[in-house]
Amino acid sequence: MKFVRTAALALTGALAAVSASPAASREVLPWVDDYGSAVAQARARNLPIFVEAWAPW
Amino acid sequence: MKAYVFTDRALKRHAGQFVWLSLDTEKAQNAPFKKRYGVDAVPMYFVVDPKTERVALRWVGGATVPQLQKILADGLVAVQGGGRGVEEILARADRSYAEADYGKAAAEYREALGAAPPNWSRFARATESLLFALYQTKDWTACAKTARDAFPRLKQTSSAANVAASGLSCALEVPKENPARAELVKTLAAASRSVVASPRKDLAADDVSAVYETLASEREDAKDEAGKRKVLEERARFLEAAAGRAKTPDARAVFDSHRLGTYLDLGEPERAIPMLQASERDLPDDYNPPARLAIAYRAMKRYDEALAASDRALAKAYGPRKLGILQTRADVYKEKGDTAAARRTIEQAVELAESLPEGQRSDRTIAALKKKLESL
Repeated sequence: MKFVRTAALALTGALAAVSASPAASREVLPWVDDYGSAVAQARARNLPIFVEAWAPW
Repeated sequence: MKAYVFTDRALKRHAGQFVWLSLDTEKAQNAPFKKRYGVDAVPMYFVVDPKTERVALRWVGGATVPQLQKILADGLVAVQGGGRGVEEILARADRSYAEADYGKAAAEYREALGAAPPNWSRFARATESLLFALYQTKDWTACAKTARDAFPRLKQTSSAANVAASGLSCALEVPKENPARAELVKTLAAASRSVVASPRKDLAADDVSAVYETLASEREDAKDEAGKRKVLEERARFLEAAAGRAKTPDARAVFDSHRLGTYLDLGEPERAIPMLQASERDLPDDYNPPARLAIAYRAMKRYDEALAASDRALAKAYGPRKLGILQTRADVYKEKGDTAAARRTIEQAVELAESLPEGQRSDRTIAALKKKLESL
């Protein structure tokens, strides 16, 4: 949850607590980056979707 | 999370349980998702039922690997149903929380906690979610009391930092005339100090950093400037050590924003320059290091270097984050005495803010920019 931190993250301020480079490693989990295709895949495979909503700052 | 959690091989066994969707909320194509699911803070995590496209479980902020594994397990229950007793109550609370109905969620989390067996494995997550719901409804006293009461049970877990700091943060919001305030602040400050005195290995470093930040606020609340400075110095040392242990530039740069904030609070922005230069060198596609350099140089009154760093950041940035970079740039021009350039920069920011798609466009931000323009 970390809402102490999140309160700062919610803003488009100049400082933010988490750096999340798009180049971060992806090999452990098979990520996709398109909502429509995630829904289609999930329906076809009868799986729920885990969504990570992030920002690169 | 990307640098420290999602790379952990312990998560590999969960790969086939979900479709894994990663969305950069700064990109225009993801604005509809952001609007539909109310993403007003990042990082934010969801488990979505693809049949209904409804959120079954939501988690705001970071998580350690063990916490994430519990979230995944609970997400499966929330989507598949079939939970009984306290698990069913928790799933109901999670749905209310996911729909941002925080008043209802708080009542349901309390119901779940009240019905739970003594060693309930969901105690920590339910407590953290309850704290967030109480924070969102600004029920400061209940939030602080919940944290105070839960901390003894959670102090040896990876939730300790968050519960202590969140509780202290709520306690500081309790009106000063409330007779319960002093005891809540004192108890939760002691809990927070115990967390930073010997941080557990499974605590996320940014959570520990947030505890220091809240302790600095507590010293400020007590009008103890020397005490606040001491906490900030400790925070700087903690973050420098954590960054020193990082195995990759990405992992090291996670701490850049916390470190910059700490150095600014200490009035020593120059301490941020070497780390930000290293990050800009090692992460050439990332706009954050030059954007942060612009902030540090501005604080040092090295305005030309701030503008040059701002140029480099703007060349790489996209989405709403550009607004923050433009605002820093306008502040640099203003402090330099070039009001005309400051005005032009804010006008550019207004134009950009108004052009953002729904889900990224913020009326509050546009109004604030226009107010800033009027003041120039």
